[in-house]
Amino acid sequence: MNERISALMDGELERREAGGALDALKHEGGARDAWRRYHLIGDAMRDTRLLSAGFAARVTMKLGDEPTVLAPRAKPLLEQRRWQLLSAAASVAAVAFVSFAYFSQDPAAPAVPVAQTPASAETAQVAPPETANDYLLAHQGYSPRNSLQGMAAYVRTVSSDARGSRR
Amino acid sequence: MRLRALGLALAFCGVCEAQTPAPTASQGTADAMVLLRKIYQATEKLSYSGTFVYQQADRTETSRIDRVAGPGGDIERVEVLDGMPREIVRTRDTVRCYLPESQTVKVERRIDQRAFPGMLPEHVSDLARNYTISRGERVRIAGYDCEAVLLTPKDDLRYGYKLWADAATGMLLKARTINRKGDVVEQFTFTQLAIGNVPRERVRTRNGNAAQSWRVEDAAVAPANLARAGWTMGGELPGFRKVTEVTRRLGEARPVGQMVFSDGMAAVSVFIEPMAGRSEAVRPGLSSLGAFHIYTREVANHIVTVVGEAPAASVQRMANQVEFRRPQ
Repeated sequence: MNERISALMDGELERREAGGALDALKHEGGARDAWRRYHLIGDAMRDTRLLSAGFAARVTMKLGDEPTVLAPRAKPLLEQRRWQLLSAAASVAAVAFVSFAYFSQDPAAPAVPVAQTPASAETAQVAPPETANDYLLAHQGYSPRNSLQGMAAYVRTVSSDARGSRR
Repeated sequence: MRLRALGLALAFCGVCEAQTPAPTASQGTADAMVLLRKIYQATEKLSYSGTFVYQQADRTETSRIDRVAGPGGDIERVEVLDGMPREIVRTRDTVRCYLPESQTVKVERRIDQRAFPGMLPEHVSDLARNYTISRGERVRIAGYDCEAVLLTPKDDLRYGYKLWADAATGMLLKARTINRKGDVVEQFTFTQLAIGNVPRERVRTRNGNAAQSWRVEDAAVAPANLARAGWTMGGELPGFRKVTEVTRRLGEARPVGQMVFSDGMAAVSVFIEPMAGRSEAVRPGLSSLGAFHIYTREVANHIVTVVGEAPAASVQRMANQVEFRRPQ
């Protein structure tokens, strides 16, 4: 079967034989593996390598660090995964390029915010600390808002929403 | 990532907007300063009773406030009427926060004149360094004819503010904090207000008897020199200067160092506490609560927590400036 897959890739199969090979691709994991392996070999031989070694692994790691904001994770079908990752990697690279292009095309953008804003964009958004109210209350005593509006400003710091207030 | 790019794009629009010269003439600025000074004086001098609504994101809370000013010392009491019961009472030198559900009283005593109030009315003109101060339109709020004053930030390190005050007395009836996109991040509005004679019993705690058996968490604030212990700021946040530096307790027992920086409207606190003795795991990162941002990071086996009523980037920048050098 592997030879037939290889022949199919090279366009050397008759129509009827090609039909059988495509069928195998549809239904047999082994055939699909061969298809991918041969493409990888072909790419390597033609020196059309697009991504550095370990790129997929690094992307996986980075994705793992990202908070899940999309739909629930799909079933981990290992044989599909590599391709999904490569396509994800390509999208990441594409978006990164778009963002970069955005910056470089905007000469009006002030230098300082450019340097600062990505820092906050890359920062992990976390839930407020358990003891958020303690910090807020300790802070409020020195807030200039007290002299502007008196104790009303304190309601901001004893929120029932901030976690830990019911300890 | 695409969202981030969009966010950045919006942020830049905000910057452009902020840079358009304000149409305010200097006469308008002077007028606005007069009104602002009047607001500070009213907050210090008036007695009043009222109900106000605090809004932040999807949170809306109604509170009752009573304030008695006079030769016997000012006393002020706030009671949150929605959600978890909370009552805050301030006397001349002490703030007590009563939390009936957890049977806790949090106590904080003022140690120096700079602590409360945070700013004196005679320093209003200092605000003009970081904000463009202008007059807004006249509107009616809770039965009072109000004049508005706007504080538009001169950079993106701070929020903007719009304040509405009773034209006759200067009493603040509505206050908005606005980010650079023009969104309101928090708002206070009085829905009912009576200025003048407030009986003293109105400002006494409703938890007085019950609270005698409650746990007392005294902040035990003491002046400090954190630089001597090795803690310094590697840089400064433009417009913000150090207001105070203390050691204190947070919650039940945790001893922490606290530095407070302010630009006259906004304040940012830097808390430094040893990692040892922390009951909860430390989650480095940024969290947001209305106009507040909290940024946590680890420095030299300590937890640095920066809390500020300022944009996230400012809070984060200040947190990243905290440095430790072993004292000689």
